[in-house]
Amino acid sequence: MNITYRPSQQKILQYTHGTMGIAAVPGSGKTFTLSALAAEIIGRGDLAPEQEVLIVTLVNSAVDNFSSRINDFITARGLLPRVGYRVRTLHGLAHDIVREKPGIVGLDERFGIIDEREANYIRKEAVSAWLAANPNALDDFLDPDMEESKKDWTRRQQLPRSLEGIALAFIRSAKDRRILPDQLRAQLANQPAPLPLAEMGLAIYSDYQRALAYRGAVDFDDLIRLSLDLLERDPDFLERLRYRWPYILEDEAQDSSQTQEKILRLLSGEGGNWVRVGDPNQAIFETFTTANPQLLRDFIANEANFQRELPESGRSQPAVIDLANQLIDWVMTGHPDPDARDALSPPYVQPTAPDDPQPNPPVNWAGLHLITKKYSPEAELKAIIDSLARWVPENPDKTVAVLVPRNTRGAEIADRLKKEGIEVIEALSSTQSTRQTAGALGNIVQYLSDPQSASKLATVYRVWRREWRDDDEYTEFYKHITKLIKKTGMVESFLAPTHDEDWLASLQESESEDVIQELTFFKENVQRWLDAVTLPIDQLILTLAQDLFTEAADLALAHKLAIVLRQTANDHSEWRLPELTGELSVIAKNQRKFIGFSADDGGFDPERYKGKVVVTTMHKAKGLEWDRVYLTSVNSYTFPSNQPNDNFISEKWFVRDNLNLEAEAIAQLDAATQTGEYEWYSEGQATLAARVDYVRERLRLLYVGITRAKEELVITWNTGRGESTQALPFAALVREE
Amino acid sequence: MKLTQSQQDIITAPFDTRIFLSGPSGCGKTTVGVERMRYLLEQGVYGESILVLTPQRTLQEPYQELLQSPEIGAGGQVTLATVGGLARRMVDLFWPLAAEAAGFANPDQPPIFLTLETAQYYMAHIVRPLLDEGYFESLTINRNRLYSQVIDNLNKAAAIGFPHTQIGERLDKAWLGDPSQRRIYQDTQDCANRFRAYCLEHNLLDFSLQLEIFWEHLWGDPIVQDYLTRTYRHLIYDNIEEDIPRAHDLIRGWIPDLDSALLIYDENAGYRRFLGADPETAWRLSDICSSHASLNDSFVASEDILALSDSLAHVINPASTDAPLNGFREGVLQYADAHFYPELLDWLTEEISTLLEEGIEPADIVVLAPYLSDALRFSLMHRLETRGIPVRSHRPSRSLRDEPATQSLLTLAALAHPQWGIRPSEFDVAYALMQAIDGFDLIRANLLTKIVYRARELALSPFDGIKPDVQERITYVFGGYYTQLREWLLSYQEQDVVPFDHFLRKLFGEILSQPGFGFHRDLDSARVAASLIESVKKFRWAMASADTDALTLGREYIDMLSEGVIAAQYLGAWKMEEENAVLVAPAYTFLMQNRAVAVQFWLNPGSDGWVERLFQPLTHPYVLSRSWDNAEGHYWTDADDVAANQATLARLTTGLLRRCKERLYLGLSELGESGFEQRGVLLKAFQRVLQEMGDR
Repeated sequence: MNITYRPSQQKILQYTHGTMGIAAVPGSGKTFTLSALAAEIIGRGDLAPEQEVLIVTLVNSAVDNFSSRINDFITARGLLPRVGYRVRTLHGLAHDIVREKPGIVGLDERFGIIDEREANYIRKEAVSAWLAANPNALDDFLDPDMEESKKDWTRRQQLPRSLEGIALAFIRSAKDRRILPDQLRAQLANQPAPLPLAEMGLAIYSDYQRALAYRGAVDFDDLIRLSLDLLERDPDFLERLRYRWPYILEDEAQDSSQTQEKILRLLSGEGGNWVRVGDPNQAIFETFTTANPQLLRDFIANEANFQRELPESGRSQPAVIDLANQLIDWVMTGHPDPDARDALSPPYVQPTAPDDPQPNPPVNWAGLHLITKKYSPEAELKAIIDSLARWVPENPDKTVAVLVPRNTRGAEIADRLKKEGIEVIEALSSTQSTRQTAGALGNIVQYLSDPQSASKLATVYRVWRREWRDDDEYTEFYKHITKLIKKTGMVESFLAPTHDEDWLASLQESESEDVIQELTFFKENVQRWLDAVTLPIDQLILTLAQDLFTEAADLALAHKLAIVLRQTANDHSEWRLPELTGELSVIAKNQRKFIGFSADDGGFDPERYKGKVVVTTMHKAKGLEWDRVYLTSVNSYTFPSNQPNDNFISEKWFVRDNLNLEAEAIAQLDAATQTGEYEWYSEGQATLAARVDYVRERLRLLYVGITRAKEELVITWNTGRGESTQALPFAALVREE
Repeated sequence: MKLTQSQQDIITAPFDTRIFLSGPSGCGKTTVGVERMRYLLEQGVYGESILVLTPQRTLQEPYQELLQSPEIGAGGQVTLATVGGLARRMVDLFWPLAAEAAGFANPDQPPIFLTLETAQYYMAHIVRPLLDEGYFESLTINRNRLYSQVIDNLNKAAAIGFPHTQIGERLDKAWLGDPSQRRIYQDTQDCANRFRAYCLEHNLLDFSLQLEIFWEHLWGDPIVQDYLTRTYRHLIYDNIEEDIPRAHDLIRGWIPDLDSALLIYDENAGYRRFLGADPETAWRLSDICSSHASLNDSFVASEDILALSDSLAHVINPASTDAPLNGFREGVLQYADAHFYPELLDWLTEEISTLLEEGIEPADIVVLAPYLSDALRFSLMHRLETRGIPVRSHRPSRSLRDEPATQSLLTLAALAHPQWGIRPSEFDVAYALMQAIDGFDLIRANLLTKIVYRARELALSPFDGIKPDVQERITYVFGGYYTQLREWLLSYQEQDVVPFDHFLRKLFGEILSQPGFGFHRDLDSARVAASLIESVKKFRWAMASADTDALTLGREYIDMLSEGVIAAQYLGAWKMEEENAVLVAPAYTFLMQNRAVAVQFWLNPGSDGWVERLFQPLTHPYVLSRSWDNAEGHYWTDADDVAANQATLARLTTGLLRRCKERLYLGLSELGESGFEQRGVLLKAFQRVLQEMGDR
C-alpha cells in the first residue's frame, strides 16, 4: 500500500506526544489523517499489550477502512485482530467506561440504555401527566390578545407539542450541566422569585428520571454525565484508564460539549497525549448543549503544544471554494450583527497542489447558479423539479443532492420528484438494509396479527420472494402468484384446508405444476410462521429471520431487533403483536436509532446513487459530497441575520412578547443553579441571546451546505408564508459574484 | 473404573477417620467421594446414617446417579442435602423449640416457609410504598432486581453470621464512590429490618431466617443435637469451597461427634462467592481433620490444555500461578473470527458437525458463553437441531410467563373470572382458543374470536349464534369443542370461586387434557400447566397468613406474575432432555455441573460478561464476607476491584479448562449480539498468550 501525504498531513504524522490542535477545512481528509496517525503510533511499537490508542469521533462510519487496514496488518503477524486501538463515539466511550463500574454511580449491573424513541415516549407521558395536573399553569405565557376560544384550542393542540420540545431542551441541558432533579429542587426552593418554567421543567424531569430508574435504564445523555461522575469519583480507576489509553485522538472536536471535553481532558490527564481535530466552521450541533466552536479555537490557540492546520481540500472546484471563503469574509467583516461576526473564521479553504492525489475539479464559474428570483415555496419547488428533470437524464453518472432546512420540506420535494418519475433517495441516516430488514419482518408480523387477510398474505409472498421482483426471468411468475394469493378469499382454505375446502387442490386443474409447487412451498413456510406466533417476540423474529435472510448483516440486524423488541415487550407487558409490529415499522421508517449497528453503520455513500436524487437536510449532509448540490429555502427565516423583521422558529406565535420558551426555560435553569451575585433571571434576555446563537449556527450551516458541492451549486430561496426575504448572506454572496 | 492407590487409600480408610481431601479440579476428588459412599454401603453401613452434603443441589448428581443404579441394593436411604435444606428440615421438625425464642408473634401457629419468589413477593409488598416515598431515588435499577438484592443481603448476613442489622453499616463503611449514593445503604437496612419484622409477625421464614433460627436456636439444643448425632454417623461433604461460612461453622462443631468424615475441597474453585461462598473458612476446616490428603494428577485435561490453562491464568492474574509455563501444541487452541454474530453461529454449527463426524460424542462437546440471551439460545439450538445434532441447553430456569401455554391458561382464567376485570385482548383470546383446541389454526381461531368475543362484557357468544356459512368456515368440529369450552366456563362462573390452583387443575383436568383439546397430546404444555399449578399453590400457602379470599388471591398472583415479581420459574424440564447431546450453557452453569468434556467452545471472548462485576449497587460479595475488615477507613478500592476481577477470571478459565480434555475453540465476533464492538479482558488475554507463543 503506497500512500502519499501532503506536507500539512506529514507534519501532523510527526507528532509524538503532548497536546495538538488541528483546524481543518471541509474535505481536507481529517479522518484519513487521524487514522494514519493512529496507525503510525501503533506501528512505533511503544504500546504495552494492554494499551490502546483511543480514537473518539462523532460517527462510526469514517473509520471502517482504517479498522480493516490495521486488522490486516496485525493478523499478518498471527495475532488476533482489533488489538492496539479502539474507535468509539463519545457515547460508545461513555458506555465502555460506565459498563466497567456501574455500581459506583448507582447503576445496576444490567442497566439498560433506552434509545431516542423510548425516551420520547417517556417524555411525552411525563408532559401529558404534568399538563393534566396543571392545565392552566402556562396561561401567563400565552399571548394575551388571543381570543379565549383560540386560547383553548392552543392549550389543547399547540401547547403539548411545544412543551415536549421545551422538556427535551430542559432535560438535555440539565444533564449536560450535570444537575439532578433533587439538586435542582433544593436550589429552586431557595429562589427569591419564582421561576415557573424551571419548576415545570423540574417536575417533568423528575418524572422522566423516575420512569428511567423504574426500567433500570439510562438515556444517552445520562451515559455521558455518569461516565464523567465516575471518572471524578474514582481516581484509581481513572489512573487505570489513563494507562490503558495513552493516546487520545479526537475527531470532530468542534462538536464536543463541555462535559464531553472534560471527559477526554480527564482521560488524557495533565501533560497527556491528546490530539484534537475539528473544523469550528462546521459546528452545527450545538443546540441544547454546552458545545461551542470557540472552545476548540481556544484550545488550538492557547492550550495545544502544537498547532496544525489542514487547509487544503480537493473536494470542490475553485469557484465553490471561492464562494465558501467569501462567506467567511463577509461574516467576519460585513455581518450586520457584530455579535455574529465570530460565527466563521479562518483557515480559508485552499485548493490542493497540482500533483496532489486528490486534485480539485477544474474551475467552472458557470457551475455556480445563484438564483435570486423571488419564488413562492411552490414555485421554488417547481423550479427545482424542472431543473432536475432536465439535468438528471443528461448526467446519469453524476451525483446530486437537494438539501433542505427541514424534513417536512424534504418530504414535499421527494413526493414531487417521485411523481415526475425521478428516483429519490431519502433519509440517509440509516442504511437501506436496516430499513429493508425491519420492513420485511414488519410485513410478515403484520400479516400474522391479522391472518385472515389475503392482501396481507400476498404482501408476505412479495417479501418472501423479494429478489424475484427485479429478476426478468421470474417477474411474471411472481406477479401471477401474488395475484392468485390476493384472490384467495378465505385464507384458511389455503393455509389450513379441510377435506371439503382446499383452495390449492381446486387450482390443480387451472394452474401449472410450477404454480402449485410454488404455492405449496409458500404455504409450508407460512404455516410454520403461524405456529411460531405464540413464541415470545424475540424467538418469533429469529424464526422469521432464519427463513427470510441469508446475508450476515441482515441476520445480525434481525438478532438485534429481536433483542430490542423483547426489551420493548418487557417494558410494555400489555403489548401484543399489533403494537410490536408498530415498533418494527417505526424502525423501518428510521425513527428509532440504536447504539450498536448504529444508524450510520457503514456510512452513507453518495457514489452509490448516481443518476438518482438524494433529498436530505443540510444537517445530515455534513461529511458528504455530491457533484451537484441544490441549496434550497435560503431565506431570512431559515438563515436569519437578527434584523428587525426576522422571524425565529423557536418563538411561537401563541406565546406573548416573542418569548422563546425553550431558551427562557434553560435560562431559568441556569439562574436557579448558578450562585453568582449577578446571575439573576431577567425575562426575555435569553430569547435575545438565543437569536444570536441561532444566527451563528445557521451561518455555519450555510457554509456546510455550500461546501458539499464538488462541481455545481444551485442556491434558491422562497418567500415562505409571504414574510420571508432573501437571506442576507445569500444576497451578500450574490453581490460579490 | 481404575483408581489410583492414593484414591483407593482414602476410599477404604477406616470408619473412624476424618479426612480433608484437596486438589485441583479434574483430579478425581468427587470420584473418591462417590466411591467412599459406595464402600461404606458395601461394608454394611446403614444408608440412613450417611449424610452427603453439597453447597448446591446440582453438585449432588454423581452421588444421586450411584444411589439410583441397580447395583446399590436396598440398604436404607442415604441423605443428600444442602446445609440450607437441612436447616429448613430441622426448623420444620423442631419448630416449637425455637418459635417463641426467635420472636415469632404466633409461636403456636405452624411456620410458613418462603421460596425465593414468595420472599420476593413479600419484599415487593413492603418496599413498593417506600419507593414512592423516595427510597432508593439515586439508584437506577429494575425493581425486581432491587427486591432481590435486599433479600440477598439478608441471606448473606445469615450465611456469614453477622446480625442483619449491620448490613447497611458494613456496606457504607467500605464505600468510596459518590457520597450522594450513601443514603441507599440506610434505605437497604431499613427495608431489611421491615422485612424481618414482617416475617416475625406473620410466621414467615425466608432462607435467612431458616438458617438463623437453626443456628441460633436449634443447633445448640441438646434435643436437636441428639437427634442429628443419632441419625447421621458418616459425613461426605463435597465442594466445601463453594459453601457459606455458616455451613463451615456447623461442620466444625459437628465433626467431633461423627464416626467418619470426608471433606472435599477444590483448590481452583470458589465460583459461588457471589452467593456468599467462602473458600477461606472452608480451608480452615482442615484443622479439625485427622488427616489431610491431596490429589494432583489431572485425569481430565491433556498436557497441552493444562499448559494453555496455566499460560492464560498467568496472563490474566500473574499471582495465580507460579508454575513454570509450558508451550502447547498449536491445534489445541483454535479460533474463528467473524464480523457479525450470526456468522459465528454458522461456523460453530459447521465445526460441531465436523467433530461429530470425527467420532466425538455429542455429550463430549459444550458451547459456553458468559451470558446466554434467549435470542442466542434459540438461534443456536435451532441451527444445531436443523442439522440433526442433538443439543440441550442446561438453562437453570425459565419464567413461566414466557410459556405460550401459561398465556393461554391465564387468558381462560380471566374469562372465567370476569370479577377480576382483566380484559384480554382479542389476540390473547384467539391464541388461547388456538392452543386450547387441538389442531385449531390461528386463522380460524382469529375469525371465531372476532365474532364471539365481547371484550367489554368479558363474555363469549355461542357458536350456534354465528351465521351458518361462517360456522362452516370455522368447521363444526372446532365449533363443537369451542362450545364445550364455553359451557365449561359458564358453569364454572355459576359456582363459588375456588382457589386459583384448584381452578387451574379443574380447567386442565376437565377440559384441556381431554381428547380434542390442546393439552391432550402436548406433553410440554401439560408440564407447564403442572408447574404453574405448583407455583400458584406455593403462593397460596405463603399467603396463608394474609387472610386473602380466593378471588383476590388469583388476581394478585396474575399481577405479580406479569410484573415479574414472581418469576414462576419452570424448573426441571431439562432433566427430561436427551443426555447424549451437545450442551449449550452459561460458563458458570457448566462449572456447577462439575463434569468434563472433550471439546469446549467459548463464544465471544471479547464480551465483558466474562468478568463478573462485583459491584452491585446494594450488595457486595467481598465487603459482606467474613474476611473483610470492617474497620473505619477501610474502603473497597479500584485496586481491590481489579485484583478480585483478575482472580475471578483466572479461576473461571482454569476451572473450565480443567474440565476440557482435548481442544478449545474460540468464536470471536467483531460486533457482539447487540452490535457493540467486543473488547473484553479475556480477548486480550488470549491475544497475549498467542503473542507469547509466537515469541517462543
